[in-house]
Amino acid sequence: MIQSHDPRMNRLGLPDAPAPAVAKEALDQFGTYEVFHQKKEGAPFVYVGPVHAPEADVAFLFAKEQFSRRFACTGLWVVPTAAITLTDYVGDTESAYDTLPLLAKSSAAPAPDSRYTDDTAGEEAAYAAGEEDYDIFHLKKRGKAHQHVGKVRASSPADALQVAKAVFGEQRPVVNVWAARSADILRSDDEDRDIWTTTPEKKYRDAISYKVQDRIEKFKAENQ
Amino acid sequence: MYGSASTHDLPTTAVTGLENEDPILLAEFEARIARGEKIEPGDWMPALYRKQLTRMIEQHAHSEIIGSLPEGTWITRAPGFRRKMAQMAKVQDEVGHAQLLYSAAETLGKTREQMLTDLINGKSKYSNVFNYPTPTWADSNVISWLIDAGAIVNQLANAKGSYGPYCRALDRICAEEAFHLKYGHDAVVHMATGTPIQREMMQAALNRWWPAIMTFFGPSDKMSVHTEILMRWKVKMASNDECRNQFLDMYVPKIWEIGLTLPDANLRKNEETGQWEFTEPDWEDFKRVINGDGPCNAERIAVRRAAEENGAWVRRALLTPKTQYVRPLA
Ligand SMILES: [Fe+2]
Ligand SMILES: [Fe+2]
Ligand SMILES: [Fe+2]
Repeated sequence: MIQSHDPRMNRLGLPDAPAPAVAKEALDQFGTYEVFHQKKEGAPFVYVGPVHAPEADVAFLFAKEQFSRRFACTGLWVVPTAAITLTDYVGDTESAYDTLPLLAKSSAAPAPDSRYTDDTAGEEAAYAAGEEDYDIFHLKKRGKAHQHVGKVRASSPADALQVAKAVFGEQRPVVNVWAARSADILRSDDEDRDIWTTTPEKKYRDAISYKVQDRIEKFKAENQ
Repeated sequence: MYGSASTHDLPTTAVTGLENEDPILLAEFEARIARGEKIEPGDWMPALYRKQLTRMIEQHAHSEIIGSLPEGTWITRAPGFRRKMAQMAKVQDEVGHAQLLYSAAETLGKTREQMLTDLINGKSKYSNVFNYPTPTWADSNVISWLIDAGAIVNQLANAKGSYGPYCRALDRICAEEAFHLKYGHDAVVHMATGTPIQREMMQAALNRWWPAIMTFFGPSDKMSVHTEILMRWKVKMASNDECRNQFLDMYVPKIWEIGLTLPDANLRKNEETGQWEFTEPDWEDFKRVINGDGPCNAERIAVRRAAEENGAWVRRALLTPKTQYVRPLA
């Protein structure tokens, strides 16, 4: 049996001999979700990274643990990775919207379109015709993080990127664009916002709560 | 902690396969890096870049998760409630770092199942210092302070590397490390300036750990294989000796100021060259341990494997027919 300094390990009764090789099965580590967080109320949601989870609720739980544990956070969104449609990546001074296929005149949305205006009747008709909301995220610089820029209404993910180009295409640079169907995003609820106030009682996780210099000075003074 | 760009086993033929790459794509790739732009997962990249980065990020992830074991050993017996909470928070951070890093490695194409399979079958490397035990609370403190300090030197360098997902993960990790470093320093100072028994315990732990700490950044540059191309591609950001020297410069004075000594009579800074001089670590012993023959290699792998196996039924029970794996985006 393996003898450890950790009594919990000793209780496992681990054999000395190396165990025969094993291979993990597919999905042993679940599926993937992409996580966005909000640093403070009113700030845009920003990409923080992926989590592995079997389903959206668990993804939210893991995301909260992973990304809101240490620093201020006022909201989280999780999206299945598969639900995000993206453009190609371009250089730091270019626009990813320029890589989208140019639409033939006939299928291009004629402006003004209810998608860009406050035409309520047109909006209802569009939803009835199968259009849906999409959230759009921009990456402004390689190595940085995607940030939420707004919503568009569109008939498909590819269409959402086209509409986003019409609405947000003037912004530059845009290294990469993500579009996610709004219905696929699991969002923290504003009513639950007290779940984010977890940090004040955990001062022992802050570098500033360690006053080590005082003790060093005292030691030095006593040992001159 | 513990990103060691000195992945300890860089290929001896570092340029193998480059002649098969499309010269135009390769030139564009290198020009992007030279301009200071990051590489993102959707970009074309040479097979060697993908392979080296995967190996490096994966080893870093394994080091976080295995590195949490020697400190985790002391959670149940940490002196006092506050230290227990802090030790737990630190260990949780380290496991969180592993999660971030596995995801970054996955964007390059290797699944998490493959990486964990390699780890629990003993096929992957992780930072060699975790093949040593923490027989006392003071040993755990030495890791919290000095191993983390070494890791921060590496991680700050690597955060300036060329691969976007790794940089994003490292930025987050480095922000969390500030607490680890202060916590570790506080714990060591507490012992070193405490009762004679505490002081003795801390000195003994430091003596035990110093040889391993001196190997933390990997073999001396004069023994290392050709890494020029990895430097040019900003995969490796600083040489092993540069990192080691920076670490000694920052931390030896802090060790000495609290009246502790280091078990190397040759350790001193050459003020003319700005370089630290020391007894060359025993690299043969390092090789022996990293290849499996250290005091804790078997325990570390067995414990990790037991955790994976004992949790498997829970993970299976949580799966739904809709669970879908897609390579993380960024
Ligand atoms: Fe870490
Ligand atoms: Fe750490
Ligand atoms: Fe650490």
